[in-house]
Amino acid sequence: MTSGIGRVPAEGGWGESGIGPVGRVAAAALSIAGFAVAAPLHAQATGAARPPAAAPAQGAAAPTLDLTAVSLPVPPAGRLVAITNATIMTASRGTIPKGTILIRDGKIAAVGADVQVPAGAKVIDANGKYVTPGIIDAHSHSAAEAINEGTLSITSMVRMEDVLRQDGVSLYRQLAGGTTTLNILHGSANTIGGQNAVVKLRYGLPVDSLLFEGAPPGIKFALGENVRQTNRNLQAGQQGRYPRTRMGVEDLLRDAFTRAQEYQREWQQYEQRRRTLSGAARAALIPPKRDLELDPLVEILEGKRLVHCHSYRADEILMMLRVAKDFGFRVASFQHVLEGYKVADELAKAGSGASTFADNWAYKMEAWDAIPHNAALMAERGVVVTINSDSDERARRLYQEAAKAMHYGGTSEEEALKMITLNAAKQLGIEKRVGSIEVGKDADLAIFTNHPFAPSSRVDMTIIDGRVFFDRSTSPTLEHLIEQMRARQRPRVTSEEQ
Amino acid sequence: MRLGKLTAGVALLCGAAALPAQGPTYVIRGGTVVPVVGANIPNGIVVISNGRIQAVGANVTSPAGATVIDATGLFVFPGMIDAGTQLGLTESGSVPGSEDTREIGDFNPQNVALTAVNAHSELIPVTRVNGVTTVITSATGGLMSGSAALMDLLGWTADEMAVKPRAAMVMTYPSTGGGGGGFGGGGFGQNQPSAAERRETMNRQVRELRQFLADARSYAAVKSKLGADAADGPRVNQKMEALIPVVRGEMPVIFDVNSADQIRGVLTLADSFKLKVIIRGARDAWRLADTLAARAIPVIVGPTTQAPGADDPYDMLYAQPGALAKAGVKIAFQTSDASNSRNLPYNVALASAYGLDSTEAIKSITINPAQMFGVADRYGSIEAGKVANIVVTTGDPLDVRSTVKHLFIRGMKVPLTDRHTDLYEQFRARPKP
Repeated sequence: MTSGIGRVPAEGGWGESGIGPVGRVAAAALSIAGFAVAAPLHAQATGAARPPAAAPAQGAAAPTLDLTAVSLPVPPAGRLVAITNATIMTASRGTIPKGTILIRDGKIAAVGADVQVPAGAKVIDANGKYVTPGIIDAHSHSAAEAINEGTLSITSMVRMEDVLRQDGVSLYRQLAGGTTTLNILHGSANTIGGQNAVVKLRYGLPVDSLLFEGAPPGIKFALGENVRQTNRNLQAGQQGRYPRTRMGVEDLLRDAFTRAQEYQREWQQYEQRRRTLSGAARAALIPPKRDLELDPLVEILEGKRLVHCHSYRADEILMMLRVAKDFGFRVASFQHVLEGYKVADELAKAGSGASTFADNWAYKMEAWDAIPHNAALMAERGVVVTINSDSDERARRLYQEAAKAMHYGGTSEEEALKMITLNAAKQLGIEKRVGSIEVGKDADLAIFTNHPFAPSSRVDMTIIDGRVFFDRSTSPTLEHLIEQMRARQRPRVTSEEQ
Repeated sequence: MRLGKLTAGVALLCGAAALPAQGPTYVIRGGTVVPVVGANIPNGIVVISNGRIQAVGANVTSPAGATVIDATGLFVFPGMIDAGTQLGLTESGSVPGSEDTREIGDFNPQNVALTAVNAHSELIPVTRVNGVTTVITSATGGLMSGSAALMDLLGWTADEMAVKPRAAMVMTYPSTGGGGGGFGGGGFGQNQPSAAERRETMNRQVRELRQFLADARSYAAVKSKLGADAADGPRVNQKMEALIPVVRGEMPVIFDVNSADQIRGVLTLADSFKLKVIIRGARDAWRLADTLAARAIPVIVGPTTQAPGADDPYDMLYAQPGALAKAGVKIAFQTSDASNSRNLPYNVALASAYGLDSTEAIKSITINPAQMFGVADRYGSIEAGKVANIVVTTGDPLDVRSTVKHLFIRGMKVPLTDRHTDLYEQFRARPKP
């Protein structure tokens, strides 16, 4: 009864403008404008960069998901919605003290103090409340059936999107903390891990619809203790896996990219020859053997795949930067990067982002020099910094985590907000779509009862593509549960108890 | 050793009982004093000397020669108390050599946490610079983990830090969840005990716990009858000795529990053995809020920064402290961690966003825990005669954006530096390329 799904609201009143609490409506709403559903995964070319997922056009014969037989909690489409009287923290252009956000077909159509609310718009009066961009978690392992393919030290062939699942209650709780987009990463058991999946928290929809359509593909790399497996006890008879040292990690990377370059050359030569031939000769030409391990690495070399590299110590960060430079690619983001403050200038120069914890430290040796001023100091030296969760639990309160950059390093309020919104969008290459409250961007928003960094503040509503995916007024809260129990005059005996 | 940075010539800390006999006199003036008990005092004055608060109020005369701290625009709060941490007992989780948090065996009431407190742990200054001045630290696990220490986060030795060296006994009530029993927790995937086996283990552990307490009660009774020095008394048993104040109801027992069943078990145990219990952790305490309030049993909640159970409302851990307080239960907070003890106020902030009244919120990390551990005559508020543990902040200490400007522990002005600020300053000064 209390798990996840919103309480079903009273019927009626939402109408054509259609914004409302999560309710049970027919899944046919999937094809409503303003809400794109990713193409089925299995239709995609194996090993190649993900093609931009097509949004099924309304009424067209484009591939649509036939789900009419099932009933899913799909929020009505946000066709025409106005959030009024709100303090709007745009994350890119300052704060509007009393403004309106107009949403049309899931996109932000207007923002400002003098926006006229068109007739027929569904109005959300946010008087006294604060609106921020939907929070983007740059490091998550949610919604995944598995995290680590740990048997090899290079598993670039595995993909998180192949193991996505609707995590139910966990995703709902993150929504309840204003989080709307996640970078779902492979684990850190290997130097070159699996391919990532960027998703929106479209809670309740079929799992394929979680994918953030058009997000550039990425991949997880990892350095340090986890890759070396030094905190892991080997079973009797089990052999240690190469690499066991940080030197080995570098060797593995250089070897992998050397092989990728050779593979890339083979394909280039093949394509070149193919262009010069025609007819039977062209047909007889045998292509190189497709290598699913090296394909993603070639995409990295070609700048088509973003590297998100788990790292802790300054030395290993510098090693990764050297390797990347030698092979001609950019590391999009260093993850954790707890000693990033020691090499902030090198990170800034390389154009690499940094995605760190607010204040986690001391849990292992490589986290011993972690300081809570890390985010602030890196930002001060010109690095694009985000604060991430790496945890389903922490992802529910990233707004509080971001404020720690103000507490420890004197980061400005807007910069702190960027660390969980716009900067994350930049690191993931989706900043044209999300991350700030600007005209033309997706209507992914969080409505807070107070300033998001204030201690008494909580999320009232979370909106994705103009649709309300979380609404506290219809959510099963503890208060609601206690009321129900008291109403039944059975305050201490319930079926939920163990 | 960070204490070395304290002003030279200052009379250094003495033991728990004996506070510094002399020291500088400080006058904090111009700030809003939040005494916690009683109304806030705008533009208030706090006079500190000899480790104690000498005077508080709007119209207090500054003693001659005092060092004046200008707190204009700032707020003056009592130091915060974390009612559950492993501070001092661990340095890094992945370095076994630095861990003294878990003893072998299920019954270790004789173990004294203070014994293993490393007064020079790098985690201690990191915690206090956020305004946490006093903590309950203890080992965990097993059924009886030993006694917890109430200590201030300043001192050359653990003995100097101690406020109450043995403030409470820490126990875990058995559950079917596999926690607390200390039987290794099983492995992944294989040899997992069945539900029936787990229930059997739990029942056996409850029997053992009851037997142990019954033995202690008999031991204590014999001891009282014979007198302390009787030559023909029972042989000294360290475990039993440690439990004498517990079964006499003099030393509170902190019970680490989660489920409503465990809490009910604790209440039964408290009735059987006349124990003075404090419930800690207690995710399900809200289900028994009325009972706990009626029986005046305090609850230490938290950490709020944990995921609720799969079937719980999304805001369960955030909203439970408010629900308990509203029902009339006295609450305090724990971080249940060492490196995160500095986040104590932010744990409370999450609860305040979900229904915990702001006055109750501050009480729950000051006067309430002081009362639970029997030191409210010396700790937990800004009142004349109390130990001068004082935090001067730019705003609400629960607000992450606020910062600590001045920190006093036992009347000593403590530098706001730690390993983290040192590294910060060091690398902030790195020349730009």
